[in-house]
Amino acid sequence: MNVDDVGLFSALKARMGWLSQRQKVVAENVANASTPGFKPKDLKTQDFASMMQGNAPSEGIGLSVTRAGHISTESPGQTKVRAVKSPDSETTLDGNSVVLEEQMIKMADSRMQFEAAIGFYQKSMDMLRTASKLPGR
Amino acid sequence: MKPVNQAPNSTTTMSIAASALKAQQARMRIVAENIANADSIGNGPGSDPYRRQVPVFRAATVDGATGVKLAEIRKDPKPFGEEFDPSSPAANAEGYVKKPNVEMLTETMDMREAQRAYEANLNVVETARAMTSRTLDILRK
Repeated sequence: MNVDDVGLFSALKARMGWLSQRQKVVAENVANASTPGFKPKDLKTQDFASMMQGNAPSEGIGLSVTRAGHISTESPGQTKVRAVKSPDSETTLDGNSVVLEEQMIKMADSRMQFEAAIGFYQKSMDMLRTASKLPGR
Repeated sequence: MKPVNQAPNSTTTMSIAASALKAQQARMRIVAENIANADSIGNGPGSDPYRRQVPVFRAATVDGATGVKLAEIRKDPKPFGEEFDPSSPAANAEGYVKKPNVEMLTETMDMREAQRAYEANLNVVETARAMTSRTLDILRK
């Protein structure tokens, strides 16, 4: 059995992929906090409804295809995460609209969500282990 | 931006933050040069004193993502100040000395900003590290 076949696990995997992707985008924003004209980006939020229908985007965590002979591990019809421009509340005179505080909040938020996802993952694993144990042991 | 089809590893996040740490470090160096030379006058009578330097940041590709780099160091075109000091070796015929166009207040603010940005990037590194180590915790059970 593949762990990904369990809906919860594939959803958590997608979630964690999304969160680390977002962490990267926030890192880009923070790095460019003093670059003139830089507009911060953020990821589009995950679609909970489509995730519940079992077609959660896996965010391309599979193997990358570098040659024609390689088999793609991604199923067709998957949606990809997109980074969209999302300026913060203030824009400075040089056209930069990164507000460090807001980016820090986003980062802390992603981190907490990530911890939650990890927690869920471990609990679900424990449940699987409990289920696979002999009764009374 | 093109769709991202590869999950970033934490090293990408860290190298973005590292590029910013480097850039802010360089900016601090320029601020230090400016403050150190706030009183540096020119060599001969009537000559130009130290001209303030301005760091220019630009977005740059690091590990396939958008990092930052110190693209160039510009000279501040702001006019020099003048002070009456006939005893100075750089005084002109009327006894005026050109003073550098460095303003302490501006430099101090710039320094604070660099410090704040540096701290923010360190935070990013720390968070990326914590997230990776939490993921690795799964393996330990």
